[in-house]
Amino acid sequence: MLDHMQRIASTRGYVAALAAVAVVTAVIGAIEASTEIANVPMLYLIAILGAATLAGRGPAILASIASFLSFNWFFLEPIHTLTIGDRNEWFALALFIFTALITGQLAADQRTRAGETAARAREAMLMFDVARMLGDPDLDSALRAVTARLRGALAATAVVVELDGEGLSRRIVAGDAAALSGAAVGSLAAWITSVQPEARASARWIRVMDPRGVGTHQRDERVHAVPLSSEGRRVGALAMHGERRPSAADDRILRAVAAQVASAIERARLRQRATDAEILRRADTLKSALLSAVSHDLRTPLATIVASAGSLRQTEVRWTDAERETFLADIEHEARRLSRIVGNLLDLSRVESGTLRPARGWYDLEALIDDVVGRLRPLTQGHRLEVRVPDDLPPVPLDYVEIDQVLSNLIENAAGHTPPGSAIVVAARVEGDEAVVEVADDGPGIGIDAMDRLFKPFLRGAGREGARGSGLGLAVARGLVEAHGGRIAVRNRPEGGALFAFTLPLDREATPAAATPR
Amino acid sequence: MKQGSGARILVVDDEPAIVRAVRANLGSRGFRVDVAVSAREALERLDAHPDLILLDLGLPDSDGIDLIQALRARGRAPIIVLSAREAERDKVKALDLGADDYLTKPFGVEELLARIRVALRRTLDPGANTPVFRTRGLVVDIEHRRVTLEGEELHLTRTEYELLCALARNADRVVTDAMLLREVWGPAYGDEDHYLHVYVARLRKKLERGPRRPRYIVTEPGVGYRLVTEEPVLR
Repeated sequence: MLDHMQRIASTRGYVAALAAVAVVTAVIGAIEASTEIANVPMLYLIAILGAATLAGRGPAILASIASFLSFNWFFLEPIHTLTIGDRNEWFALALFIFTALITGQLAADQRTRAGETAARAREAMLMFDVARMLGDPDLDSALRAVTARLRGALAATAVVVELDGEGLSRRIVAGDAAALSGAAVGSLAAWITSVQPEARASARWIRVMDPRGVGTHQRDERVHAVPLSSEGRRVGALAMHGERRPSAADDRILRAVAAQVASAIERARLRQRATDAEILRRADTLKSALLSAVSHDLRTPLATIVASAGSLRQTEVRWTDAERETFLADIEHEARRLSRIVGNLLDLSRVESGTLRPARGWYDLEALIDDVVGRLRPLTQGHRLEVRVPDDLPPVPLDYVEIDQVLSNLIENAAGHTPPGSAIVVAARVEGDEAVVEVADDGPGIGIDAMDRLFKPFLRGAGREGARGSGLGLAVARGLVEAHGGRIAVRNRPEGGALFAFTLPLDREATPAAATPR
Repeated sequence: MKQGSGARILVVDDEPAIVRAVRANLGSRGFRVDVAVSAREALERLDAHPDLILLDLGLPDSDGIDLIQALRARGRAPIIVLSAREAERDKVKALDLGADDYLTKPFGVEELLARIRVALRRTLDPGANTPVFRTRGLVVDIEHRRVTLEGEELHLTRTEYELLCALARNADRVVTDAMLLREVWGPAYGDEDHYLHVYVARLRKKLERGPRRPRYIVTEPGVGYRLVTEEPVLR
């Protein structure tokens, strides 16, 4: 990596090589002056080896030539000329330059290989990191991590990933976002398309106009972009932005990462498709359950209505006024029941689709309970209904329509599952940072086996054919309470009967439980 | 049973069975009934100068909300909106745009007649200037800023009093949350909307003393409140 630094390093290498030769020349001079040792000139090989190992091939050759010339100039008769008198000396010198060049080359090769190995190791580490980061199922956070890592590895001002199409459209930038702003380069993918139409379009080196100084400052900043393609289609682009021209290694890294990112995008797309299919499948299951439950639950009131209306219309029997009144009351009563079932169906579809967003305001729970109890009086006429709310109950943040529905369903459920004359107690109080609302009855209670399925739609306990209302009411209640960030539960009271309780957080900022399809 | 005294009512609904039932009931009570099955027809029938309009929000050729604006631009006849239960937002929007009241389908004939009576009464006597409001033992003396319940003076805070006056001025009509906020706190209300319902609940506690009747203020879930002068019919 890094041309520029290499250039500086190699200039230094040549200078150092010459310096090393000078030092060795001085040392040989000192030795020659005092004693006579054979083959002292071989000391030059140390300088040449050093230059080859530390600075590479070029400095090694320079050192070899410089050594050859210095030796000839300073130490061979006639001294201070480049001519050689002795034939033996000629041979020794040729041997020397040959040895020097070969040794230098071998050492330099070794050095190059070591450098390449280190670079490959860095790249391998980078690719390993990228692969690990792309394992994150959240594509956004994966891409954020990858761009940041890549920016560090390439020493770039910024790295950007741009995706387009199929609901995955996004742009993730690490580093100086302004440098790669849309105004500067436009859409990278569009830009690649315009520069080179084929999917394998190569990276381009472009000048970026500073959007802030139109035409006046033309910054010499550069974008190097490679396309992301998956199954032959372009799905986006990966680009780096820097102040220097990217090396071949940079391009290789960018392309390798682009390939990995593209396959991660493909995986994300497949995951998305699988999720969509799962949602569809669940919706389908729900629909089947809905159909069977609805056809059962709607048929009962419809049968009453049709029978009563038919009775009134037939001419063979003369009904008394009281009988006629009973038929009419039945028709109205059952029609209103149908209306409540339809209301719950609509609520359930909102609960199941996860689109429930309670419109919360601060309400007085007592007023809400009074309203619901008052409105349901016709349903609870046969029961003894009692409300217990303390005077100091604080306001509670809730969606009035939804909690009205929850409480209505619980009271209707209690009234429907207990014999006439039973007591129903509606109570509210504060416990910690929650309001608790309870609906208790003194009926037969709930079988252990039914308890955990009570709040699931359409899964009424076996042998409860006589039960009124559908499995809808409690499922809707649970969905609405959970959308408020509360909980709903049922238990049998020790003194007999069932007790349904739900909580509502008093803190409005409480985040509602994620509304996921069930 | 001649209650209608010849008032002319325009029924805008595309459901034949509903139209038939409404027409029969209103006709037998002395109302003159016009019917329109689309928004276009409704605007044409305006030439007959109806005294009141019953408008279904789910018309085939128009967003009912747009039609309300068009009708309001052409006259002041009260509009009662008919809508499905789950459409609270539409109801509120309709009311805030100038509809006078609403009925949720399915509705009973008694409820329908009661709403029509209230709406027609208001056109004859706009009530806003009535200095004293009386109903079932509750007296709101607007001129003297005094409220008595069964002859006993009630001590209300300024906000509670303003709320009661706003509801009394619109007696038997639904008043949306937004209207109440505007009337009591003025157009620049701020955080008060969080507490509107709590203020109303406090006022109700002073007026109604526990869950026992009589009941004066009725909650219209998700829409607003109504001060009722007759005990609501429960069924």
